[in-house]
Amino acid sequence: MIDAKELVDTKNSTQAKKIFGDQEVYEQELERIFGRCWLFLAHECQLEKTGDFVTTTMAEDPVIVTRHKDGSIQAFINSCTHRGNRVCTADSGNSKSFVCNYHGWVYGGDGSLVDVPLAEICYHGDIDKSKLGLPKVRVESYRGFVFGCFDDDAPSLEEYLGDWGWYLDTFMVGAGEGMELVGPPMKSTLKCNWKVPAENFVGDAYHVGWTHAAALEVLGGELGMLAGNTAEIPYDDLGIQVTTRHGHGFGVIHHAASSIHVKREAYDKYLQESIPKVAEKLGQARAGLFDGHWNCTTFPSCSFLYGTNIFKVWHPRGPNEIEVWSYVLVHKDMDEAAKKEVVKQAARSFGTAGTLESDDGDNMVNATSINAGAQARKNTMSSTMAQNHEGPHPDFPGIVGASFIGETSYRGFYRFYQEIMNAESWSAIHAKDDEWDDMFENKDFWKNKLAGDK
Amino acid sequence: MHDIQPTDRVSLELHYAISQHSYGESRMLQNHQYREWLETIVAEDIHFWMPVYERRYRKDKRPAPGPDDMAIYSDDYSEVKQRVDRMYTGTVWMEDPASDIKYLLANIEAFHTEQADLFKVYTNVAYIRHRQQTERTEHVGSREDLLRKVGDTFQLVRRKINLDARVTVDKNLYFFG
Repeated sequence: MIDAKELVDTKNSTQAKKIFGDQEVYEQELERIFGRCWLFLAHECQLEKTGDFVTTTMAEDPVIVTRHKDGSIQAFINSCTHRGNRVCTADSGNSKSFVCNYHGWVYGGDGSLVDVPLAEICYHGDIDKSKLGLPKVRVESYRGFVFGCFDDDAPSLEEYLGDWGWYLDTFMVGAGEGMELVGPPMKSTLKCNWKVPAENFVGDAYHVGWTHAAALEVLGGELGMLAGNTAEIPYDDLGIQVTTRHGHGFGVIHHAASSIHVKREAYDKYLQESIPKVAEKLGQARAGLFDGHWNCTTFPSCSFLYGTNIFKVWHPRGPNEIEVWSYVLVHKDMDEAAKKEVVKQAARSFGTAGTLESDDGDNMVNATSINAGAQARKNTMSSTMAQNHEGPHPDFPGIVGASFIGETSYRGFYRFYQEIMNAESWSAIHAKDDEWDDMFENKDFWKNKLAGDK
Repeated sequence: MHDIQPTDRVSLELHYAISQHSYGESRMLQNHQYREWLETIVAEDIHFWMPVYERRYRKDKRPAPGPDDMAIYSDDYSEVKQRVDRMYTGTVWMEDPASDIKYLLANIEAFHTEQADLFKVYTNVAYIRHRQQTERTEHVGSREDLLRKVGDTFQLVRRKINLDARVTVDKNLYFFG
């Protein structure tokens, strides 16, 4: 077992480069992170009818997610308990059962083994089907978003999200009926470590002006001013970024939700009309975030941009490769035409051929492949931007950074990464619930800043 | 207009004109002449479309994706133009040094339609892209085009690209297939 304190230095805000590509680190991540955290599976709207199913993976483990006849959503490992073959090879569909192509074993919609060919004759009746169901995965939903977890000792999904749920509720509860997810996902591969895009979405507004200069220049809009980092902008007044207990985090640029969408009149109208409803339900703090543009990661590997509304899962495929699955988020109670335009605009910017997506791939791959070099990987990476310009805030939970450009949520992401990589169990993690934010030392940052602003 | 049906096969002479037009279009894109491509090849009422197909069981009767469903490309003229303009900003870092791409066109079949000036063209395509030192990616699929005869040339009114791979093994598909 690798001591993650050698991988992440929370005091100096550095990470060892070997976390992007080392096989042993990766194996530990599969067990301690992907084996114990809640991982995104599907949205309930993909599983409306009895028998509806989607297939996905939790890290590299293939799973089937179904709507069972009792109305529950269930998930199980997509591998026959006889000789291990996949029992479902479609992306999605509707089926009462899953039949293994190899020997014809049949599993029901709840994963139980219901039929074994020649059981009476060739097994001589000596087979206990009740013990040979597909291994079940814990399933819970948050506001319609379905997550799975392999660890019975993990906290509930709601507890796992913690303060991050408070922020998610801004649009999952605040306006109308919440959000749904539009697929089927675009899928592509990137030869990068899964953490590169996860950290990018959790807290990297810094790259936007430079990496995406070309797209921003032709898009114009509120974010056009960031192109090339040449404009004088009061960055600290335009947004915040946040990290929470379990590494989930985000950055928000105020009033920029739709800025990457070219055709957006109906969308803007919906957002503006919804703000008073959010204020009424949830208060002014979250109403003020509602029409912001958010870059987010739910630890470990589920990221999205609220506003642009692209929704990504980074499925690891070894330490040096991922599959990127891209869906689109839409507000449920928007009219159909406006929803369709949001889907189109999100795919245009951050789909597989997206005007902004196409800028990111090279950075992510090169940040990983460089670690093939024995000398390069001995070094560390830095995430020190605006360290100490962050702290607890009177209106917002978690640790709040002073600007949407900063590395507060990087620091929080890797703080929890270190913690869960070293923790023996979830109870060891719970034991530190009161001290998780000790590393963010400037406790009076917001008190002083808000007093100064007055 | 994507569903305009083919009628009779075109004559040898028209087939030659259409296939040469397609090769010329590919050469323009291979030479990174995106503006020339936009101005001389693309009709102002274009719909440039690359839908997303799931792997589904044969018994699954859900319809194929339509123009309002999730798509990798679903662009009108102004949106194609924006993608073209981006290539001329000087800040597309990934294309500097430029990648090299070849469009291999095969199985070209061209048909008349019920409208005299519109032709339906089916093509098999392979896009092979080389980048940096050793990066090589390949995308194989088919194209359904609707071409409009304008004077002695053609304009692209509809393009639907179906890639065969469910998972794109590449960083992006930003190459105007």
